[in-house]
Amino acid sequence: MTTTTAPTRRRTTTGRLTAGGVIRSEWIKLRSVRSTLWCYGLIVLLVIGIGVLASSLSSFGGTALTGDAARSTVVSVNTAGLNIAVLIAAVLGSLIITGEYSTGMIRSTFAAVPRRTGAIAAKAVVLAVTTFLATSVGIWVSALITSPILAAKDVEVQLGEPSVFLPLLGGAVFVTMIALLAFGFGIILRSTAGTLATALGLLLVVPIILSILGALTQGADWVTTVSALMPQSAGSKLFGYASTDTATVSTGGGLVLNGWGGFGVLSAWVVAVLALALTLVKRRDA
Amino acid sequence: MSFHRWMSGCLRPPSVEGMIEVANLSKRYGAKLAVDDVSFTVKPGVVTGFLGPNGAGKSTTMRMIVGLDRPTTGAATVNGKRYAEHRDPLHQVGSLLEAKAVHTGRSAYNHLLALAATHSIPKSRVHEVIEMTGLENVASKRVGGFSLGMGQRLGIAVALLGDPQTLILDEPVNGLDPDGVLWVRHLTRHLAAQGRTVFLSSHLMSEMSVTADHVIILGRGKVLADASMDDLTSRVGTTRVTVRTPSPDLLASAIAGPEVGVTGTPDGALSITGIDAARIGEAAFHAGVLLHELTPVKASLEQAYLELTQDDVEYRSEVAA
Repeated sequence: MTTTTAPTRRRTTTGRLTAGGVIRSEWIKLRSVRSTLWCYGLIVLLVIGIGVLASSLSSFGGTALTGDAARSTVVSVNTAGLNIAVLIAAVLGSLIITGEYSTGMIRSTFAAVPRRTGAIAAKAVVLAVTTFLATSVGIWVSALITSPILAAKDVEVQLGEPSVFLPLLGGAVFVTMIALLAFGFGIILRSTAGTLATALGLLLVVPIILSILGALTQGADWVTTVSALMPQSAGSKLFGYASTDTATVSTGGGLVLNGWGGFGVLSAWVVAVLALALTLVKRRDA
Repeated sequence: MSFHRWMSGCLRPPSVEGMIEVANLSKRYGAKLAVDDVSFTVKPGVVTGFLGPNGAGKSTTMRMIVGLDRPTTGAATVNGKRYAEHRDPLHQVGSLLEAKAVHTGRSAYNHLLALAATHSIPKSRVHEVIEMTGLENVASKRVGGFSLGMGQRLGIAVALLGDPQTLILDEPVNGLDPDGVLWVRHLTRHLAAQGRTVFLSSHLMSEMSVTADHVIILGRGKVLADASMDDLTSRVGTTRVTVRTPSPDLLASAIAGPEVGVTGTPDGALSITGIDAARIGEAAFHAGVLLHELTPVKASLEQAYLELTQDDVEYRSEVAA
């Protein structure tokens, strides 16, 4: 057995580190751990369940709803579950990376993808695509189920209207971006507990503190502006119904964002956190 | 099927050399210099052992070779390039740096499948390494429930996944049962015989002495010795000769000298230092002393190691001089 007997190793057709391979690897990882699968299941069920509940329980005093009022109702019913689903998405985004840090898996990952950026990027892509799809499935299945329920209550349902389907699309984008934000925190902090505390704190606790501050300062402009720039608040503009789209306007001093403004602010959050995360991951010992 | 024939079927012989070259590598953690200007070369075709007390910097050095830790200064290359610069890292180097660097909620099979996917390594190879490491029965179980030994086998399976030219194994026999220890010994020797580079650390001196051909000893972050096993044991350790004779006093006076030391052993033999077996035999012949046994006893790796780490001598420079 000499080295000359093996000129054709399997290396010729397989064996290079490729972007596709790394993405496939992350997809295998994602679907082979139960906790992440549970998160996706929960997101879908919550969005559908709360949508169906909201449409069944709401009553419109027997009057027929048309126009803005009808479209606004359709949007809010089908996105009613998003504020809870987004918390699950934050947990999911955290677990997908802190699970690797806490178990030591990250060292296997970085041994296979030693430049690291590729592994992180592939994880982000897989997380983003799956979260977007899971949330979209939830929203659109909810829309299909709630349409006849709302129609029976004399609400005019027009899912094809841009002012309806854009917020429904935006809702899934919102949940996806929060998952990515939590993922970024997870890379920076590496511990599951720390990441969950940070992500959920930013989504749940900070808005409460800001609203208390707002009450204490009688709605000072800077409190309104800071509140508008928080991920939860900026993100909620992505699935809010707007009858007349206005550019970013300042009414009475504090910042008010429209859908695209909210998207911009949330994107800035995600980009900033992921950029910091990538810088750290390249520099740190694994 | 014999062990070797079976292994040969699973592992193809490598076609490229895979030298590990470590040059002036240092790693500082705060005030502590864990690895201090370490340089050495690990050659293909032999098993190179990496020895040293806990905290000597063995694991840190190995982790720096595969780019998991960033060197403070210096560089390590495998096959001429830094590990991260290779386009097919898993085919260049297979590494086991820590048992259970695995997500506890994932099955062994899926763990291997995910790592294989990064390099488009086919599923058939995943099944091969599972078979080679004896994990068939537990491959579908979650790794969280694995024993240390099973975790080690999975780590070795990962290292073999890319059919690599170079293997870096940190404490591979840790937690293995005697069968497993023997298996790792055969496996590493077999891989080296195929021309691969095998670099393994262990704190088990006896295991190292039967597995490694070449030894690098690290102490307090510095290389204390870098020599073949034979060189190390013959030059560093004190060579003793065990002698049995009915007239020990006569022999003792016949070989007496300033460097000669004679001590009795509990079972009635003499343990003699400072003079080799041939000269003892010669002296006994001339003095008419009857000998029942005359056995040169080579210093063990353990003795050599203890001597080195006690005095903290730079053995390598001594040899070179």
